[in-house]
Order: sequence, then C-alpha cells, then structure tokens
Amino acid sequence: MPFNASRFVAQKAEDMQKYADGEAVIATSGGVDSTVAAVLVKKAFGRKLHCVFVDTGLLRKGEAETAKLNFRKCGLDVKIVDASARFLGGLKGVGDPERKRKIIGELFIRVFEEEAKACKAKYLVQGTIAPDWIESGSGMRDNIKSHHNVGGLPKEMGLLLIEPLRDLYKDEVRLVAKELGVPSEVFSRQPFPGPGLAIRVMGEVTKERVDIVREACAIVEEELEAAAKARKMEIPWQYFAVLLPVKSVGVQGDVRAYGYTIAVRAVDAADGMTANYSAVPHEILHKISLRITNAMKDKVNRVVFDVTNKPPATIEWE
Amino acid sequence: MRVAVIDLGSQWTHRIWRTLRDLDCESEILPPDVSFSKVADADGLVLSGGAVRMGKGEDSKVSKCHALLDEFKKPVFGVCAGQQFIALHYGGSVAPAKMPEYGNTELTIIEPDDLFAGLPRKFTVWASHNDEVTKAPGFELLASSPDCKWHAFKHAKKPLYGTLFHPEVAHSQHGEEIYANFVKVCRR
Repeated sequence: MPFNASRFVAQKAEDMQKYADGEAVIATSGGVDSTVAAVLVKKAFGRKLHCVFVDTGLLRKGEAETAKLNFRKCGLDVKIVDASARFLGGLKGVGDPERKRKIIGELFIRVFEEEAKACKAKYLVQGTIAPDWIESGSGMRDNIKSHHNVGGLPKEMGLLLIEPLRDLYKDEVRLVAKELGVPSEVFSRQPFPGPGLAIRVMGEVTKERVDIVREACAIVEEELEAAAKARKMEIPWQYFAVLLPVKSVGVQGDVRAYGYTIAVRAVDAADGMTANYSAVPHEILHKISLRITNAMKDKVNRVVFDVTNKPPATIEWE
Repeated sequence: MRVAVIDLGSQWTHRIWRTLRDLDCESEILPPDVSFSKVADADGLVLSGGAVRMGKGEDSKVSKCHALLDEFKKPVFGVCAGQQFIALHYGGSVAPAKMPEYGNTELTIIEPDDLFAGLPRKFTVWASHNDEVTKAPGFELLASSPDCKWHAFKHAKKPLYGTLFHPEVAHSQHGEEIYANFVKVCRR
C-alpha cells in the first residue's frame, strides 16, 4: 500500500509522547520540511515547542516576509534571529563547496544552542528528510554533499535530536502536510537548500555575488510561475539560478562588457533522488535571459540553461 | 512476506525499502556484514547498488556477502553493484564499462522471464554505473541497453536475478512492477 499519511501522523503522535518531559527548540526555515516537522511536533509539545527562524543573509528575495506570513497561517509562533553578519563573515574567503556547507551547518548549530539555552530546551527538532542523510553519506555510502542538518552536527551536542520525517521524501512530506491541514501555498513551495544562496554562488561567497544570484533567482521564479499559470508549461519541481563567477566578453550599447554568467536550472522530480531537466519553452527562457541581462547589466552579460539530469549532476550545483 | 535489503552503500537503497513497503512487503535495511542468522527467515534478499567498484576488485570490501549468498537458498535480487557482485560470486567477470550510463537509457527485453512478466518489450530505465558485467556463466540474458549487454540476468537454475539499472528510482518506468514480480517469486 502506498504511503499512508494519516497512519503516519497517528504513529508519530504516539511516538512523540515519550518526549513530553522537556522543552524543544526547532529551526523553521519557512520551507516545507521544517514547517511540517514543527506542526507535527507541536501536537505533542504544545507551548513547550520554541520555533526559531534564522536569517542567514543567504535567503531568497522577500523570503523572511513570506516565511513569517506562512508561520502565521500554520499557527506557529516564531522568533526571528538575524545572524546574517555571522554567516557572511564565516564564509569569507571560502570557495570549497563542502567547506561552505560545513561552516553553515556549524553556525546553524551555534545559533540553535544559544536559543536552546535561552529556553532551557532538552531537544532539538529538525525537519531532516531521507535525501539529507542519504546524500550526506556514512559508512559504505559515499558523501555526495553534506546537508546542513546532518553534516554540521557536532559529535557532542548538548541536545537530543528528534527527526520525525527522517524516513520520508518530499512527496510524502507534502502528503503529511495536507493531512495536518497545512495550507497548500506552504506545502507546495519548491525545495530550497538549507545553506541557501551560498551554494548557488560557485566558489567564494560575497555579498555582491549573493545579491546578484538573489535577483536572478527571483526572475527565474517569477517567469516560470507566470508561465505555469498561463498554462505554457507545468511548474517544475525545482527552479532557480546559479552564479558562475566565470567572466565572458559581451557588447552592451556599443560598449565592451566583461561580466559573470548565470545558469538557469529547472528540473522535474518526484523525490529529488533522480531528476530530469525541465523542457522550458524557448520563449520563456528567452524572457528570463533578457530580464537577467538587462536588470544586471553591470554584472551579468551571459545566461545559459542547464540540460543535465540527476544523475550524473545533482539538482543544486554545489 | 519479508524481504531483507543488504545495503552496499547506494544513494537509492532507501528507495528499495520504500518500494517494497509500498508493495506491502515488510523490509529492513541491513549492513553488508550482517550474519546469515539475521536474514535466515526472510523470504527474499535484495543486494543494493553502491559506490563499491566491483570492476576494480573492490568486492573484497563486502566479502561477507559471499557467505551470505552461499547460505541463503531463497530468491535474491541484485541491483547495479549488487548484480555485479552476484556475477562475480558465480564465477563471472565485471569490468569498467566501455560506456558508463548515468541517467536514462532504453531497455530492450530479450527474455521476459519472471522479472519482466507483463511489461512492454522496450521502456526507459535509469542507471548510474561505472562498471558492468562482462561474463556471467550459468546466467541467462534477460535485457540489454544500446550501450550495455548485461542489463538484466537470471541464473539458469537458481532463483537469482539482477539488473544493472535501478528499478527503485522514480524515473525508471515499470520499476515498481519489477519489484512486484520479484516479490511474486519470493511468494512461491
């Protein structure tokens, strides 16, 4: 029998009873997994669950506002912590993707530990799902990429971990969300990686580069969502922009240009463990390309479309 | 019905577990050094894929699985590295693939047998392999792709099956049906 969300929710509610002896802190990013984990765990913890939203400075355009609105819709009371200076500072001079992921994972944990101390929490709840620990590797399994909620955890942590969604994939998490009454505009959001825009800037992360990729991501999202609404295509499973700090020559208004490249990525998937690149109509790609190069004329003068499946690529570039 | 999944380290081992669960088949993921007593009462065994390079002599990393295959007399299904391991165990050869396949490939069924019963003659499957089986004495060829001959096989006398592609991933067509066919074999 395919995954049964109501049985899952009932089972988890029962399992969760044994944790009723302490306070818990959960990091809610505004994404599907952590929001669903929070709503699920709140059933057992009630007011003993403390939700924290960390602004890493690596978020999408308007994300903090969208997240706040979504938390309200889900009945979650969330504390906002601005840690953007810490994250950008910690990433200074670092170009290796795994180093970037580990630094971000550790910074997340530092922030949670501080928040846990403040509310005397015993437990740390995370929205970890199957691909997170699978791709992080261990034992026989190769490390593909260290997910922030797995790879960044210190060996000795003063908090006990609760990960109710560990055995689920995104499609199953969405069924659980529906079962829990989470609004569809929350659970149908596309996945967004924990390390945020830091892994959509290839190589070293600077504020300038994050700003460029944030704007490019917003354009890709707007255009593809508009195209899907106009029934020109199905909305892809995930869609975004990546900044390649490779410069190429262009000509803008009769003037020589020498700027960065933006790669547009859009994939279709069920669970994110395999993916094919989406057949985005040329007219839509054309529009995205024009908007990106016009809006960021000083920075970007070339746009490419990624036509690789997973495998051999992964969905994100780092 | 219980099928044990021996985890050789695949990205998709947990997908095998999920597929079996969806088929109402009880399953458990176990490490490659598990003792026979832990799987003795299972109705079938799946050997997952993994990063182990069977084409480069790395089967020694999971050498305990050799004893497992000797002792376990019920149906076994090997996927990717698991299929290659079965071939090696029965005296076959595995080598780096002339043309590795990452992502989609077209499968042509040569002999439906149990595994492909009721399925079309050609369909799309997803693979992710560096090595391939080059010789499999005692095995019958069931399916090939344009770039790889031994994409699926079956032992001539024993209930041993293997595919190089991954029927457990969402992008493989008829994947769940292939597992359902294997579970049927386990039920016999």
